[in-house]
Amino acid sequence: MVLRSIASRMALWVLAGSTLVLAAIGTLLLSLTRAQILQLTHHEAAALAASAGSEIQARIDRVAISTQMLATIIATRQDSAEPLLRDTLQANRDIDGLAAAFKPSSDPVDARPYSPFVSRLDHGALASRDLSSDARPYWNSNWFLGGLSCSAGCWQRPFLSLSRQRQLINYSVAISRAGHPIGIINADVTLDWLHQVLGHLDKPEGAYVFVIDSDGDYLAHDNPVLVGKRGTPELLNAVASDQAESVRLPVAQNPQVHGAVWVYSAPIEGTHWRLGLVVPEIRIYAGVRRIFLWGLLLGMLALLGVALITLLTIRRTMAPLGVLADRAEHVARGELDFELPPTSRHDEVGRLTLSFDQMRHELALHLQDLARVAREKQRLASELEIAHQIQIGLLPSEHYLDAVCAHFELHAALRPARAVGGDLYSYFMLDPERFFVMVGDVSDKGIPAALFMAQTITLAKALAPRAQTPQNLLRLLNLELCRGNDSCMFVTLLCGLLDTNSGNLVLASAGHEPPILCGQGTPKLLNFATGAVLGLYEDSDYPEHHLRLHQGETLLMYTDGITEASDDHQHMYGIERTVECLAQMPATASTAGYIERLLGDVDRFVADAVQADDITLLALAWHGAAQSHTEVCIAGQLEDVFVGLDRCEHLLQEAGVAPSLRSDVRLVLEELLVNTVEYGYPDGRSGQIRVLLHPGPDAVMVELIDDGIAFDPMHPPDPSLPGDLADREQIGGLGIHLARTMTSEMRYTRHAHGNHLLLRFIHPNQDGTSS
Amino acid sequence: MTLSLHSEFPAPDRVIVQVGGRLDAMTFGELDEAMLALLRQLDDGGTVVIDLAGLEYVSSAGLRSFAQIRKRMRARGGYTLLLNPQPQVRKVFEIVKAVPVNEVFTSTQELDAYLDRMQRRIIEGDSDA
Repeated sequence: MVLRSIASRMALWVLAGSTLVLAAIGTLLLSLTRAQILQLTHHEAAALAASAGSEIQARIDRVAISTQMLATIIATRQDSAEPLLRDTLQANRDIDGLAAAFKPSSDPVDARPYSPFVSRLDHGALASRDLSSDARPYWNSNWFLGGLSCSAGCWQRPFLSLSRQRQLINYSVAISRAGHPIGIINADVTLDWLHQVLGHLDKPEGAYVFVIDSDGDYLAHDNPVLVGKRGTPELLNAVASDQAESVRLPVAQNPQVHGAVWVYSAPIEGTHWRLGLVVPEIRIYAGVRRIFLWGLLLGMLALLGVALITLLTIRRTMAPLGVLADRAEHVARGELDFELPPTSRHDEVGRLTLSFDQMRHELALHLQDLARVAREKQRLASELEIAHQIQIGLLPSEHYLDAVCAHFELHAALRPARAVGGDLYSYFMLDPERFFVMVGDVSDKGIPAALFMAQTITLAKALAPRAQTPQNLLRLLNLELCRGNDSCMFVTLLCGLLDTNSGNLVLASAGHEPPILCGQGTPKLLNFATGAVLGLYEDSDYPEHHLRLHQGETLLMYTDGITEASDDHQHMYGIERTVECLAQMPATASTAGYIERLLGDVDRFVADAVQADDITLLALAWHGAAQSHTEVCIAGQLEDVFVGLDRCEHLLQEAGVAPSLRSDVRLVLEELLVNTVEYGYPDGRSGQIRVLLHPGPDAVMVELIDDGIAFDPMHPPDPSLPGDLADREQIGGLGIHLARTMTSEMRYTRHAHGNHLLLRFIHPNQDGTSS
Repeated sequence: MTLSLHSEFPAPDRVIVQVGGRLDAMTFGELDEAMLALLRQLDDGGTVVIDLAGLEYVSSAGLRSFAQIRKRMRARGGYTLLLNPQPQVRKVFEIVKAVPVNEVFTSTQELDAYLDRMQRRIIEGDSDA
């Protein structure tokens, strides 16, 4: 958690970095200082050892000189030896006892020479005795015999005087007369002063000194236990070497000192003794280590202080950044209304705060803009959706099975590339026996194309009854579309008119893709001559192509959306693939099957590529000649009407139509037929009325065909029905109202020879609104 | 099936006409003729009860006949009541809203009750006068 803050991290890094640097420098400094200190210690210790050596030498020299002088004097004045000894002893307090021993004469008869021995008693008084009167003759003693050979004086081995309970050492000088030793002067030197000298040395703390004789035995040592013992070989080796004045030994002999030690030695001239100064290494470095530790501690404290200051400074500097980070999270949540920290500073943080504020305002404006654009887009989308619905509404349903007797069947599919498109198709019954169908493609895409498409489809429907043939329709349509077509849009259109009784088909094309005839062997591309596209050239003509559809044949009409469907590599589906696909269809395939198969194949070819153009596909099949229907012919007399009505009712009864529906049909027919007979022939001629009954499982279809004057029963307005017929001034129009109300569907067409009315009655059990 | 008519006068101011069969553009003339004769025999302010129990079918021509009868009766201060219309007839009546609902009765009892009420009202009206 703490490490998430930049301030903490920086403080930590500063601390770690400085510690590293401090440690490195400290280590370097320590090693340099240690070398320096060691050097210094070497000098000091060597000097100390040297000075101690010279002090000891001075005292020893005094003893040696006194003794030698005594020897010289006594050589000539043997008789006054004792007083001389006394004087000398009194003058030199280092000497504990002095003896003048003379060789006895070779003649045993002669008296033994007086050999005085003067010694200092404990309380300071001097005592003397004659050595020659000792029980053990001295002249056979080692010390005497050894002393005789030391004309220049010799130091003997130290020994412990049992009589005086102290460590003594002898200095012997031969008394020579005429070049021959006649005796010796022997000085007992106490070593107490040596200890005192060593003890009074200004040694470094923890160090100790010793004096070692030529045999390697300790003459004096700060640790009295070791006195008289032999030094270790390493020590002796170190002390003996002349050149190395300072030697490091890993282990000291003194049990009071642990660890490595440095040994400094100095020879004591005149003797074979050496003085040694031993300094424990740990003591040499103690001071510097202490200082270093203190330095380290203080340094760490300083670094901690620096880290703390860094932390506080950065935290204080970055405080607005924290607020900004917090606000940025607000922004991420879409909340733009918040307080920003005050910005009095002009540093990066101040600039950041200012630009953040600006960004917030810009963002708010941008969001508003975006919301407006989104609303606009939504509105457009909804308008486009409505336009799509309207356009879909312009198209008839995708399936048309001839409702009367299933003479023919048509399936259509239209897939706009965008919400609205420029492809179109339409179909309708031009009259009871002729089915009109067309498919077209407007030059552009999108909304302009959709508007043009709507215009075309509406005009075509309006003009078809007048045109009667595909050729005429295309001509009329072309003239209408050319009018005011400043944007030079155009539409390709293929029209067909099917005679539902015979299967004869008349086709005319305005620059549209040729249709394909399938079902008998290989699919056949109908490449007949086409006219110019609609909407551009007013004087275009559209030749007709006649053919006859046979049972099992299907005519495929399509737009270039099929042939020009492209895959990802811009390869087009093409007419060859279209024909190939259709060739694989079984002869018994339905119109829906053709549509499904071809669209499926196109989809597989296109795969994931985006649909670029609208796709429209129509399949038209003719199922053969009309099945026989029940026909009742009525002459234009009222009596005939009722005969005909009875016959119709009888036929319906035979067909198993329910009584209630029968009576509905009868009522509607009566009203319509009576109306036709009474008003359809104002010129008094005898009319011809045909009633065609098509009772079906779902509904009863009735066609009324007459040759009277035009009358559309859909046309008159509903009569006013106040609730009591007796209130009406004129009782008319009721019959037509009844007929309209009681039929489920009523379609009127006027053709050249008269009226055609198609009625449909849905069985009441299938549709509750049969009334 | 053609039209059948049967009439009786239970009182001088009331005639009951039973109409059966089919009343259409072919047969409505018969009814018009017969009713013309019957209404002539009826007192002013009388009541015509047309019993439709036997009428299977009516077309707009029949509706016109009924409307004429009711118009004529109304002009003479009389009443026209319809009794027992069958489904087809009722359906046609409903589509064109031929007669006020309170003048159509589904059973004789209902009609008698109505007539009694009317009788009382007339008597009371007379006594008031």
